[in-house]
Amino acid sequence: MANTLRLYLTCIRNTLEAAMCLQNFPCQEVERHNKPEVELKTSPELLLNPVLICRNEAEKCLIETSINSIRISMKVKQADELENILAKKFLRFLSMRAEAFQVLRRKPVQGYDISFLITNYHCEDMHKHKLIDFIVQFMEDIDKEISELKMSVNTRGRLVATEFLKQFI
Amino acid sequence: MAATAAVAIHQFAECITCHAWSPDLSMIAFCPNNNEVHIYKFFTDKWEKLHVLSKHDQIVSGIDWSKSSNKIVSVSHDRNSYVWTQERADWVPTLVILKLNRAALCVQWSPKENKFAVGSGAKSVCICYYEQENNWWISKVIRKRHESSVTSLAWHPNNIYIATTSTDGKCRVFSTFIKGVDTRGSQSSTSTDSKFGEQIAQLDLSSTWSFGVKWSPSGKTLAFAGHNSMIYFIDEVETAPAAQNLALRDLPLRDVLFVSERTVIGVGFDCNPMIFVADETGLWSFVRFLDERKATPSTSKASQLSEALGKLYGQSKQGTSSDTVEPSKPRGGAHENCITCIVPLRKGSDGTTKRFSTSGLDGKIVVWDLENDVSIAK
Repeated sequence: MANTLRLYLTCIRNTLEAAMCLQNFPCQEVERHNKPEVELKTSPELLLNPVLICRNEAEKCLIETSINSIRISMKVKQADELENILAKKFLRFLSMRAEAFQVLRRKPVQGYDISFLITNYHCEDMHKHKLIDFIVQFMEDIDKEISELKMSVNTRGRLVATEFLKQFI
Repeated sequence: MAATAAVAIHQFAECITCHAWSPDLSMIAFCPNNNEVHIYKFFTDKWEKLHVLSKHDQIVSGIDWSKSSNKIVSVSHDRNSYVWTQERADWVPTLVILKLNRAALCVQWSPKENKFAVGSGAKSVCICYYEQENNWWISKVIRKRHESSVTSLAWHPNNIYIATTSTDGKCRVFSTFIKGVDTRGSQSSTSTDSKFGEQIAQLDLSSTWSFGVKWSPSGKTLAFAGHNSMIYFIDEVETAPAAQNLALRDLPLRDVLFVSERTVIGVGFDCNPMIFVADETGLWSFVRFLDERKATPSTSKASQLSEALGKLYGQSKQGTSSDTVEPSKPRGGAHENCITCIVPLRKGSDGTTKRFSTSGLDGKIVVWDLENDVSIAK
């Protein structure tokens, strides 16, 4: 793994460790409701300062924290048009199956490719360190996955082209 | 190293929001993260479930068991509170008229047990007392003082003052003198001259949410925790507050407990109680974690080889997984998740708490004994 990616992921991990201190907190504005404050943003005092971690312009990670929930949004590297399409399709595929991932948000935050929403309920059911491991592992794998997809698309394209051009020989 | 400080660990549920002990410490009441309160009793060798108090219809956020009158008060996110009294084998609820329109978050009996206080998400504090004529508990509300939810409260030993912490970051002290309930002049101090709801002090120390306020046994010192990983100690709150801020290296605290005038235990997101001690000059400092971390020095030696092996294996088997950022380690302590509640158990001969219990999101209740620990008992 490239050294810069390691630093980037370590930074995200450490930020998540500190930020993921969540607790059950009922809504202050609506009676008998309990909603993730980071989504509602009704009481500014219940939100903490968001943290933006950038590896470069194309790859960044926004961590927004509130008293009972944390939202992690990331932008995946997209070097060319093909990667752009692949990332879009792949992440859409994942987002549509968000229930299976529990912490995945169905729609990414504007300006980002994919978002996670972790609430205090997730922290009660699951180990915090496993949750963080999941997020970091996901970030690590996504780049790999997309470059593999790109490779296989290219290989396939070359193969098809060769087959097609054979008839002209 | 001294024997471990955790003397009993019991897994009661998946997750515990709060707990309280009966006066004789034979029974425990806790909320297993739902709308019920479970009461367990210890029979010779094991805990058995005696009662389930189910009257609330949302998660129970606070329980307190009065020491002399043997009453349980519970508050819930459904905005209600009940006082439970034992009649023969059953626990009978009495509704408390709270006049709240948001969730109740915390509750505590006053030292004399003629009042209790409820902190709420309605940015207010209710002081409840019993009305003989109607056979119910009614409340007086301290309104428009807090700018956000009241996260915890603590009674001063004089039965009049109450300290609150809120998510607006401030810690406030109020007078709760109620005519007909409290008697004037019983104590020759200024505390009985103040009116109900009068703000005695406002401590604007924390820049973010504050939690877990407690008075020292004498009522001279106040301590509370901030979500910015700070703990604050305030002396002489009524006259000229003098604050000490202590920044922690670790994750924030959720609750604190004075075990004596000069010793404080803090619990929180680090899953391990922290000990704070004041020296002769009154300067507070962090001493150490109560639960010895299993540092496992033996494995660190062997790890270099296994790491290299792992790299070889890892690259062929699971790709990058062994070459990645090292995964965070599970915490090897008594608690595995955030500790949310700390309750004193037994008082020593000199009035200091020797035993206390903690509960957390991992569903365990752990009893800690400070006498087992040589370095603190000194």
